Amino acid sequence: MKKSLALAILIFLFTIQFLNSYGIQRFPKPEFESGYVQPETLLPNPRAEVLAFMDIGVLIISLSVVSWLVIKKRSRNGVFWMSLFALAYFGFYREGCICAIGSIQNVTLALFDKSYAIPLSALVFFAAPLAYTAFFGRTFCAGVCPFGAIQDLVSFRPQKLGTRLNAVLGVIPYIYLGLAILYAATGTDFVICRYDPFVGIWRFNASFGMFIFGGLLLAVGIFIARPYCRFLCPYGVLLNWTSRFSRKHITITPAECIQCRLCENSCPYDAIDIPTNTRNPESKQTMGRKLIFITFLIPMLMLAGGWTGSQLHEPLAGVNAKVKLAKQILNPVTDKNQAETFEIEAFKSQGKQQAQVFAEASEVLHQFYIGGWILGGFIGLVFGGLIAGRIITRYQADYVPNKGNCFSCSRCVDYCPIKLPLETK
Amino acid sequence: MNGSKPSEKTIKLLHSIAFAAAMLAFVLCLLISVNYFQVKSSDPLNAPVMKSLVEKFRNNPDDEQLKAEIRQLDLLARKAFFTNQWQIRTGGYLLLFSVLIVVICIKSVELLTAKMPVVPGESPVNFWDSRKINRKWVAYSGITLVLVSLVFAFLTHNELGSTLQRSTNKDAMAGSAQPETGNNLAKSDSASVSDSLAPGSQDSSALTQSMDGFPTQQEINANSPAFRGPGSNGVVFQRGFPSSWNGSSGKNIKWKTAIPLPGYNSPVVWNDKIFLSGANATKREVYCFDKTSGKILWKTTIEKIPGSPATAPKVNGETGFAAPSLTTDGRRVYAIFANGDLVALDFEGKKVWAKNLGLPKNHYGHSSSLVMYRDLLIVQYDQSGNTSVMAFAAKTGDQVWKTSRDVKISWSSPIIVNTGKQTEAMLVAEPYVISYNPATGKELWRFNCISGEVGPSLAYADGVVFSVNDYAKLAAVKIGPTPELLWESDEYLSDIPSPVATAKYLFLPTSYGMMVCYDAKNGTKYWEKDFGTPTYASPMVVDGNIYQMDKKGVMHIFKADKTYASVGDSPLGEGSVCTPAFVGGNIIIRGDKNLYCIGK
Repeated sequence: MKKSLALAILIFLFTIQFLNSYGIQRFPKPEFESGYVQPETLLPNPRAEVLAFMDIGVLIISLSVVSWLVIKKRSRNGVFWMSLFALAYFGFYREGCICAIGSIQNVTLALFDKSYAIPLSALVFFAAPLAYTAFFGRTFCAGVCPFGAIQDLVSFRPQKLGTRLNAVLGVIPYIYLGLAILYAATGTDFVICRYDPFVGIWRFNASFGMFIFGGLLLAVGIFIARPYCRFLCPYGVLLNWTSRFSRKHITITPAECIQCRLCENSCPYDAIDIPTNTRNPESKQTMGRKLIFITFLIPMLMLAGGWTGSQLHEPLAGVNAKVKLAKQILNPVTDKNQAETFEIEAFKSQGKQQAQVFAEASEVLHQFYIGGWILGGFIGLVFGGLIAGRIITRYQADYVPNKGNCFSCSRCVDYCPIKLPLETK
Repeated sequence: MNGSKPSEKTIKLLHSIAFAAAMLAFVLCLLISVNYFQVKSSDPLNAPVMKSLVEKFRNNPDDEQLKAEIRQLDLLARKAFFTNQWQIRTGGYLLLFSVLIVVICIKSVELLTAKMPVVPGESPVNFWDSRKINRKWVAYSGITLVLVSLVFAFLTHNELGSTLQRSTNKDAMAGSAQPETGNNLAKSDSASVSDSLAPGSQDSSALTQSMDGFPTQQEINANSPAFRGPGSNGVVFQRGFPSSWNGSSGKNIKWKTAIPLPGYNSPVVWNDKIFLSGANATKREVYCFDKTSGKILWKTTIEKIPGSPATAPKVNGETGFAAPSLTTDGRRVYAIFANGDLVALDFEGKKVWAKNLGLPKNHYGHSSSLVMYRDLLIVQYDQSGNTSVMAFAAKTGDQVWKTSRDVKISWSSPIIVNTGKQTEAMLVAEPYVISYNPATGKELWRFNCISGEVGPSLAYADGVVFSVNDYAKLAAVKIGPTPELLWESDEYLSDIPSPVATAKYLFLPTSYGMMVCYDAKNGTKYWEKDFGTPTYASPMVVDGNIYQMDKKGVMHIFKADKTYASVGDSPLGEGSVCTPAFVGGNIIIRGDKNLYCIGK
């Protein structure tokens, strides 16, 4: 029976591969024609549309299984094997596309560009992990995200990062999120996809720089567990916020914490909150004053951030194709021996008006000016929020996972001497 | 985890395998990097050896041995390139495999040597201190971020926004040399007419410097380079032209020169040179007149064109052998004749290139005029059973593109218009108005709205194109990927003269001497005027007025407005069927036998 089932699954998997042949380009890309360098593709080869539903199905099933393993079974081994499956399926088989992290941009573009129809799979990949996180914490990060899985694999000697480094590096994902949204909203680029560090590994095809970036992240990941997830991932920001309000979340101990401290160093991500056993040395009045100060400071930070962001609108817009073209027209190639850029050649062949290019570029610049204010304001708010969050302290008696930062990987569970009969070893 | 203790040998073996695999991965990384840079730096087709061989082959195109050598080298270079690519790919797989071995070994060691967790010592940092440090460092990083951002903004800020704004304004102004005041053509109307009629891009000086193969828009607008002016659309972008003259008394007639051979083509002018052609059944000539003196500077006989038919085509008397107007790009002048001879002459009258397009099957005679788009010469070649539009490289005469047209034969001419979004070449023939990308010949859109033997060309203004033909209808079509009919009328129709339009009004002449003014957007007829004399020449919008020449040679000048107001009627003293050219305060008119320069 088992053999027949395995055979049936194997035949099914082989059969669906044939569906891809309908979607793949029939002719290879031309080589050597004009010296034109083919840009690195952000998307894998096209495939049959029906397979997108299979991806959605696999995502939902994976999320359900991992959430069950984390919350009910409390099984680190189960989570580990699921993450290997995610690495194989969402990483190597699906070549990292579509992924939840990149889907932020699809959703943003759909909100700002009425002509863009967001694919259903992109919408589900954005919403489903957030929905599961709202109920079970960041189980997506634990065993469904291939980014997390590949970094977890190489995390051989994780070291604790100091408070300072954690504080400084921790703000990067917010900035990255803001930039990714700005670039997607203006239709400039999908920067998360363009700078996806692992896409070269999934596809065996990326620019040399991206290979180096991916390799470096994995090398760093040997000593600093999941560096991308903790200090870069923009989707992690959304998951972090959602997870703080999750209905259920992994706990280190299934019963009452006996304060044995065995789990204190178990988390390679510094995501365990230790008990606040001592009283705050600062008086209530001082704390109150600080809170009032930060309440007034946040709008000021937002204004300062917004103004700074607006001043950056020109360099930020510099990567936009329309702005780039306008700049090239304004600064033409004067050296007769130097060939004109492909952008200029394409512009000339289109018969498009120069004034129109300038007008479009001006419009994009204006969008970036407004976007710069919003981005800067958002970053100001983030800084204010992070400082406020470190003033407002909830007293806790036990060792608990930090609901925002915890990836629900279940490592800490193994360190707790208290076990339930159901737990799997 | 709780099984028997693994032997030290096993652990050591795993460590050794992991180490060996890691070393392999490292070596592979190096090899792949080296290979990558090799692939990146090699450019097989531009290798110096290959270049020199190709250069040699150019000089000796019959050298078979050299050809074989180039092929061999090319093959080798490609093989090397693809082998390198294969090596990178295979290296990648091996690298992945070796990393996998490292991971498996180390994970196995971790599993086999798992230790019981231990209670850590006292944390060196107090909880509250750690919060304080955290706050401080968040603040520090925020301040650093702001400072770095501001420095970066300061270093990279180059007033791009205002530069773009200035350039946009400059270009918009360059595209509207049409004067705005002192006439009844409303300011907004004038502006939109100018904008919509610009035949090429409104190049700023920056771009002009990098594109010296064709004239700038300013140069085009300052001249009359084609039939019905810039872009062949019937609008003049200059002001200050006389509105009164008399050929008999000599009032405001600067000069008058006899034209050697007959022709119905209209004069085209570039700076101080006026170009015309004339032909009969046996002879074809191109003339260059001096605009200041009226002297014929040179005339070139067009003969010995390869492929030119030995016998003259049969043509109608009202078309003749030289009906199509010439065109110029300020570098060369281009002419086409009824027998299909197409020629480019330099400004000294020397032949630059020439070819015959094949004897057109045309029962009246070919009459579609030439027009330029940048450095392309656009030729509408609608003949019986074989209609097409072509573009030739102005410099060499090489055919750049050719697009077949599924339309009937026609006698109309193409117009080149800037729609605000792009520049389009619009052509009309039964049953369609079709718009093409003038750079590629690719069809942009079409609209079914015309029938019969189409003679009048199109008129365009402010997103609307107007087509008309006798025994058919007048149609106003809103252009775009899905064009739509705004309005139509069959009350007054034309079979020879073409209409002209501003953003507000359409002026339609008929060949029997009527002039009708319509609202361009909704077709409301504002007025009609019977000049009483047949008209073959097309009207021109000039400085807020319409100039309309009738067959007897009387120029009817009236306001381009919703009420008819005559500015004056000026007789030439001889008949004319050609459309005048307006340049630098002078009006160049081809009469039946003479060329006139009107001016003060």
